[in-house]
Amino acid sequence: MKRALITGITGQDGSYLAELLLEKGYEVFGFARQESWYRPNCASHLAGRVRLLFGDLIEGVDIANAVQDAQPDEIYNLASQSRPGESWARAPETLLVNGLAATRLFEAVRHNRPSARVYHASSSEMFGRLSKSRRQDETTSFAPVNPYAAAKVYAHHMASIYRDSYDLHIACGILFNHESERRPLHFLTQKVAYGAACAALGIKNSPHRNERGRPIVEAGKLALGNLAVARDWGYAPDFVRAMWLILQQDQPLDFIIGTGELRTLTELCEVAYQSVGCDWRECVLSDPVLVRPLEPGHVLADASRAREVLGWYPTVSFEEMVARMVSAQMVRLKPLLDSGEIA
Amino acid sequence: MKKALITGVTGQDGSYLAQLLLGKGYEVHGVKRRTSLFNTDRIDHLYVDPHEANRKFILHHGDLTDSSSLIRIIQQVQPDEIYNLAAQSHVAVSFEEPEYTANSDGLGALRILEAIRILGLEKNTRFYQASTSELYGLVQEIPQRETTPFYPRSPYAVAKLYAYWITINYREAYGMYACNGILFNHESPVRGETFVTRKITRALARIKLGLQDCLYLGNLDAKRDWGHAKDYVEMQWLMLQQDQPEDFVIATGVQYSVRDFVNAAAAEIGFNVTWKGEGISERGFDENGNCIVSVDPRYFRPAEVETLLGDASKARDKLGWVPRISFEELVSEMMREDMKSAERDEIVKKHGFNTFNYHE
Repeated sequence: MKRALITGITGQDGSYLAELLLEKGYEVFGFARQESWYRPNCASHLAGRVRLLFGDLIEGVDIANAVQDAQPDEIYNLASQSRPGESWARAPETLLVNGLAATRLFEAVRHNRPSARVYHASSSEMFGRLSKSRRQDETTSFAPVNPYAAAKVYAHHMASIYRDSYDLHIACGILFNHESERRPLHFLTQKVAYGAACAALGIKNSPHRNERGRPIVEAGKLALGNLAVARDWGYAPDFVRAMWLILQQDQPLDFIIGTGELRTLTELCEVAYQSVGCDWRECVLSDPVLVRPLEPGHVLADASRAREVLGWYPTVSFEEMVARMVSAQMVRLKPLLDSGEIA
Repeated sequence: MKKALITGVTGQDGSYLAQLLLGKGYEVHGVKRRTSLFNTDRIDHLYVDPHEANRKFILHHGDLTDSSSLIRIIQQVQPDEIYNLAAQSHVAVSFEEPEYTANSDGLGALRILEAIRILGLEKNTRFYQASTSELYGLVQEIPQRETTPFYPRSPYAVAKLYAYWITINYREAYGMYACNGILFNHESPVRGETFVTRKITRALARIKLGLQDCLYLGNLDAKRDWGHAKDYVEMQWLMLQQDQPEDFVIATGVQYSVRDFVNAAAAEIGFNVTWKGEGISERGFDENGNCIVSVDPRYFRPAEVETLLGDASKARDKLGWVPRISFEELVSEMMREDMKSAERDEIVKKHGFNTFNYHE
């Protein structure tokens, strides 16, 4: 039986990946901070089916210990401070978790388990400042515009140096945005899904709050930043399948994973509110406070290599994904409404 | 009077820059780490006793891996200019200490930028980040200029790349005057003894006087663009005196191999090196057939950077900067100074006093 170690198992990608690997008969080890595991998280339902190794990525000894204990055949390094916008306020921590932790993991693999195959989660944020006219592939150079992206560039290059210098099997997936019902509420897509669910249920002041401590939907309005931003948004369960495929190749190779379709935030709002028969224009406003200091350009994937080498393609459409996310938020809010917790 | 803060003041660039700024009338503050051995040789001639009045050169204990020390010093000094020259700057060592390298070279730069921001100095304090030609690594274009894509090949280069981007991010997001000098190799008689140029001149001097037999080197074919540190620190200062902060490549535009450097240095002291063999068996012999240079694979890097060559047109056009000291003059000065040290050691030894060999 193959053994896999997942960092960031309590997150969206980690939990979907754990499910996929369990289905394929893997013994799954999860590396997590004790406090993230013991509060409700995306992988709570897997308790008893995965083995938890507790530790903190900020401490190098912890990850070395986990590699030593799990003796994994495959390692998926998914843990990160995952909010580019917030990385301005938490730049040093972001570098420690998203950058240095990867180096510590690669060192641990090099010394304790050099036969392991390692998947590292790189990000389309690394491309940063780009023109609208072209797509990004595996040869596109990086121009990070926030501390999150700069830390991801650091880890991506370290992966390549460890692969080339020590003959380790380390491969990076440069993943474009990928969303799901499991996205936390402070992510843009989930906020929109939540807003649409509130609109559908007639909730004017939402019980959940945004990063500024205000209700996400206040007086019937959802506050967003720059509505013109465009992203290549895919569905997370499709993307974790790509992660697994990447590690099944004989040679470690980096891959772009994305749908290749660009959608603006306006379009996202349209699809989400339409799925419940509402008009987004009546429910969404743009608040300058929520605009990031520096916005990356339009990021659009050219995933030809993944299609040709891995046979990977997305199976869930943008519309389908958004509809699922909105329904999930309705399922979450309905009982609160029925029990009278929301006025 | 302007105040400057230099991290890495005990290093090669720090000492030349401190001297330059003192000459321009600056009050110069330097950050040095606490070490168990003295490491102030390079700034000994600039040192001013704390008991003297109106000191213009002041040292502070601090460390790029200790954010509170940086905040304290920047708060106290309120500098007009900060030159971040401190780093774990050895490429080969960065493979052995990747975490420390990232902590000091990457996170260290971020800690200074954060300190400037936290203290509300983003409109007052100008920031210079010592970036490096190692960012180009596996070069994507020859010669390399400001627009050439980066391809770092060592933990040192990757940490420096983080510092490069975070400097640009802070400049653009917070309107700070912050810029990168992408400096190609720059050497001098006070270059660290473990860097290849200094290792060569120091060893050849000692071989000449019979204090050592053989010089062991790594990749003799590695090609570098070598300038003089004294020229390059002037550029660091110039970059902070512009109306707009911009990044610049600083280089000579001329390239020599490590073997070329050995030949030039040897010629200075009358050695004529004859090379025999290839690859790891290559050896250099003197006129009497003694092997004085030999390849040792332990000095190969896990990932080699074969060639670096800079194009400093932007610095020339916009800042009027040109290097003044030639390769020949650089090698000659380094060789002359290392001969002096070797002669001093020889005399000291002859009179029965202890000398150190300083092996790494």
